[in-house]
Amino acid sequence: MEDILVVENVTKRFGGLVANSKVTFSMKRGEVLGLIGPNGAGKTTLFNIITGVYKPDEGRVIFKGEDITGKPPHVITRKGIAKTHQIVKPFNDMTVLENAMVGALFGKRAHQITIGEAKEIAYQSLELVGLAEKAEEFAVKLTLRQKKMLELARALSAEPELLLLDEVLAGLNPKEVEEALGIIKKVKEERDLSIIMIEHVMHAVMNIAGRIVVLHFGWKIAEGTPEEVANNPEVITAYLGDPRYALRFVKRKGGEGDGSS
Amino acid sequence: MAGKGSSLSHYLNSPTLVVIVFVVLGILIARMLGMSTLDTLMTIMYFMGIALSLNIIMGFAGYVSFGHAVFLGLGGYAYVLLVYFIKPLAELQNMGFGLGAFLVAVLAGLFAAAIAASVGAAVLRLRGAFFAIATIGLDFTALYLMKAIVPELNPEQFFGAQIILPADKIVEKDVVFNAMFLTLIILLAVNYYIRKSPFGVGLTAIKEDEDAAEVLGVPTTMFKIIAFTLAGFFAGMVGALFSLNGGGVDETLFNLGHSIDMIVMIVIGGLGTVLGPVVGSLIYFELYDLLLVHYPGVNLIILGIIVAIVVLFFPEGLIGLLRKYKVGGVRLRDLLE
Repeated sequence: MEDILVVENVTKRFGGLVANSKVTFSMKRGEVLGLIGPNGAGKTTLFNIITGVYKPDEGRVIFKGEDITGKPPHVITRKGIAKTHQIVKPFNDMTVLENAMVGALFGKRAHQITIGEAKEIAYQSLELVGLAEKAEEFAVKLTLRQKKMLELARALSAEPELLLLDEVLAGLNPKEVEEALGIIKKVKEERDLSIIMIEHVMHAVMNIAGRIVVLHFGWKIAEGTPEEVANNPEVITAYLGDPRYALRFVKRKGGEGDGSS
Repeated sequence: MAGKGSSLSHYLNSPTLVVIVFVVLGILIARMLGMSTLDTLMTIMYFMGIALSLNIIMGFAGYVSFGHAVFLGLGGYAYVLLVYFIKPLAELQNMGFGLGAFLVAVLAGLFAAAIAASVGAAVLRLRGAFFAIATIGLDFTALYLMKAIVPELNPEQFFGAQIILPADKIVEKDVVFNAMFLTLIILLAVNYYIRKSPFGVGLTAIKEDEDAAEVLGVPTTMFKIIAFTLAGFFAGMVGALFSLNGGGVDETLFNLGHSIDMIVMIVIGGLGTVLGPVVGSLIYFELYDLLLVHYPGVNLIILGIIVAIVVLFFPEGLIGLLRKYKVGGVRLRDLLE
């Protein structure tokens, strides 16, 4: 299968801080890729480079064979990449439905659909994430979980081929995490999506991702199946410090330890 | 056609359109019956016009501009200079019961729009307070530029930045009324269209969170510049016809006070709606008159206090406030646009 996304040698500096150093990876269409790493590892920066919010200092981003490096975000969105924000950014004074409509009107089929069609697409996305009853509420009234789901619905309304999820599960309780995972799996099947997810809820990402890329201080330190990554000494060091203690921790938790604990 | 009938009834069910039609008809009827002087009606249309033009950038896109009077003034100067120096245009403005004046005003508006587009490309990179401050700078820049340039254009006739049109280059007030009336109807239609279109949805998204809007695919830079340019175009047209009505133009049109008037009108009425600027400009007009008649001397102080109260307690304005309520199970937000 073709590579839907190739990230080549991407480097991004903010003054003296190197947020991404020569990061390289690729993913196949239909894959779910986990992107993990301790806080400040450069995960969100990498998302911002893929979506065009930041321009990389070096390197290229290739989407469906086309070099999209440094293109403005709205152009990249139209090509079929959608992203949810780690810190939710709902349009507070718009209704939930209107929020999702923005995604539909300016997504993959921007300028080709009417307001009425956008409403329908938006409503379907809301149904998918379980927010349909809230369609007429103002977004400001939603709970955090609902706002996270609205982020997802907005992104889905853009009808993307590649979906970037930035910590959609963070801040949710275990039951909500299970629900959200179910939704993501369902959406992936129904829409034949490729997904990259940044996640700190380790068991969740291990459960859903076929392959995992680990960043640490901006460098890619590991890549592989969840098992390979979980047993990689460098990854364990990065997350938990001293490998001897870490190994004991991993053995006790059976590799399902929560990264933030 | 059944489809046409149902869509017509749909439009009749929209109070927004009904109100707009009433206001427009009201102006027309008041004029035909001679209930108000032409000058009063011109002032009302002028207020409505500047409020509706500012609404495009400030109401929909959320960019608070203190420099909108610049485009009012540029339109005024462009119009007056066009008919002063170009004879065919001076003749054109008398043709077609106002259509001619309307066309010359379009030219003046295009001039204002061109300046708006180029200035906008620069200042719209700024956000929030910084944008507002930059637009105050625009006001003063335009003011002093005019003071320097205009006297040079015709040193014998122009004293300072003031230009008074000679009698053979002005038109009857009836004709100006028609041109302004047409401009107002178009401005209402444009506001209504934006409110209902994907363009308007994009502008509202920009107002709410510009970064999120961009990532969701809204071409934010282009949309902002288009909105700013449209706002400048219509302000230019209104300024042009206002100047023609006054028989000339001077630099007071650039006063920061005009910019603040417009802001107050749309804040009182309700930002980002179509009815807001219409209602707000009518309220402002009445309030201004009433206070001036009953409390001369302290009228502006009272007006200032009223505005402060509105901003503090009803920042969404009258229409925005009404939109929160339900009447008989019907949500007003579905009715009032």
